[in-house]
Amino acid sequence: MIALSTRSLIETQYADQVRAFERSPWFQRLEQGQASPQEYDAFIFNLCQTHLKSPQILSFLYAVAPPEAAPQIKHNLLEELGLDEAAICHPDLLYVLATAAGFDRERQTRLAEAAQAQIRQLCTDPLLFGTMQELGLSVLLEVTCFEWMLSRLASRIGKALAAHRGLPSESLIWFDHHSEVDIRHAEEGLDSVEQYLAYYEIEAEDLETILDITFRENIFIKRYFADLPALAGATHENR
Amino acid sequence: MRIVDATLFALQIPFVEAFAHSVRSRSSSDAIVVRLRAADGTVGYGEAVARPYVTGETVASCLEFMERTLWPAVKSADYAPWVGQEPIAWLGSLTLPTEDSADADTGVVAWNAARCGFELALVDCLLKSAGVSLGELLPPRRSVIYSGVITASSIEGAVKHAKRFKQFALPHIKVKITGEADRERLAAIRAAVGPEVSLRVDGNGAYSVEGAIATCQALADFQIDSAEQMIPRGNPQELATVQAASTIPQMADESLITLADAEALIAAGACQGFNLRLSKCGGLGPTLAIADLAQSAGIQVQVGCQVGETAILSAAGRHLAAYLPEISFCEGSYGSLLLREDLSRRPIHFGHQGLAKPLKGAGLGVEIQDSLLEKYAQQIITLPSKAA
Repeated sequence: MIALSTRSLIETQYADQVRAFERSPWFQRLEQGQASPQEYDAFIFNLCQTHLKSPQILSFLYAVAPPEAAPQIKHNLLEELGLDEAAICHPDLLYVLATAAGFDRERQTRLAEAAQAQIRQLCTDPLLFGTMQELGLSVLLEVTCFEWMLSRLASRIGKALAAHRGLPSESLIWFDHHSEVDIRHAEEGLDSVEQYLAYYEIEAEDLETILDITFRENIFIKRYFADLPALAGATHENR
Repeated sequence: MRIVDATLFALQIPFVEAFAHSVRSRSSSDAIVVRLRAADGTVGYGEAVARPYVTGETVASCLEFMERTLWPAVKSADYAPWVGQEPIAWLGSLTLPTEDSADADTGVVAWNAARCGFELALVDCLLKSAGVSLGELLPPRRSVIYSGVITASSIEGAVKHAKRFKQFALPHIKVKITGEADRERLAAIRAAVGPEVSLRVDGNGAYSVEGAIATCQALADFQIDSAEQMIPRGNPQELATVQAASTIPQMADESLITLADAEALIAAGACQGFNLRLSKCGGLGPTLAIADLAQSAGIQVQVGCQVGETAILSAAGRHLAAYLPEISFCEGSYGSLLLREDLSRRPIHFGHQGLAKPLKGAGLGVEIQDSLLEKYAQQIITLPSKAA
């Protein structure tokens, strides 16, 4: 069991990331209906691109997971692929969203290629970390931070897309699903981090540095709003 | 080979986090990319980073000089393609006009950033046309080891950066200092990284001669391997005074812009190291000439970079650093570690321990994404070869 202060440290980082995202001008524009149709579509494209590769990322985490955390990560992976009892394939839900947003076959092909390109980039980028355990921790922290955010904001994002982009509720199941599923995942994710730190005997100082490296920019703004133009007030909302 | 058109992109690429030194803080890159197209359709890219407090160039004046002076010279030239000539002489044949240098009205010391932008674009274009890598002209002697650079933020922020670099096992770190809490800053950084990591400092000309001497004395306890540009650019004799009174080797940066500067610094015995930066020194040809002079005089050279440079300057810097017979330190290739997005299709940034391999692709060895140039351009200037 890691010290409570360590768990608090991680939760504080997650909360800071989510707060900065929620307060960013891009999120505000989306939620308040001020964004253009092109901005909504760019957001939908980026969101789908980000989460289409979740099975691959979870597979990586399963490979590096300590024995205690592996069953939970495996369950999340099967759930993502629709191979659990609920049998809802999450990437399929993202394509339902993309179709409802009017993405034609060509654009959906580009979407799949863009997601795959990000996996390729992950594999070809020179590695700054010296060991797989450090890289694995950084990825685990980012994934669990996404779960933390989705458990708090997925439902609001879904409602914004229904209200301001006119998407029907049946196309927004991905958001409904994540707002529910990720409340559980967010807590389990922190348990997994805790088990990971203990198994690999990662010291508190190294955890602090890896947290700093992983969250030196806002991961949600980076993934969801990379293609959108700079907005006034955005500079200080980076973290 | 004739160059038939040119496009200038004045960019603004946001940084992942702000970077500061004693002169200013910036949160985005303001690089200028030069794209040239040759008669055979080959496209080459160069980069200029204009710094008023270094060469005196601004983005606006740099663009204006490119359009007014460099482009007419380039479009009227017929360049010898690369067919195996002596490399340094061939690079020298690409020399660009230097008119207006040291113009008292503009405050420009030399139009070196502008010249660098065009020279690198010519090198990239002509070598790509021949299917040759710059690495064939400047054969690499080694992989390159890059330094981390700690911005002039709070001491707490500096320690965070130091710990990141320690996590990445970077063996060399440069610290920006400003005259405020320098000793406390270096003590905290040294404590964070341990005794094995090489530390050096960069004052960006923030100190007087007396202040520089006192600061170097105060920092000597922290095993500092060099002190860069502690005093402003000026009489080399002043830097020689700092060097004579300090045990820390002095390195010239803003004081070293032209070959004449290098000669004056050597004559004055002003320093033990030169910081060579392509955009500051006017491109590969002029920088190699300064490096050659430094080597003859027993001056160590560091290959430096411009904060916010993109993959284009980083690639050219990589070739230079891998080629030079001996370098003390190397900076650059931060790529997407600093920029929200870099311009190259494949990442340029270094990996664990600061290591990066020499580049092998044709030209400068990086594939530039035109879509990103357009995405981040604040201004695009198209320069046709014939008047409309």
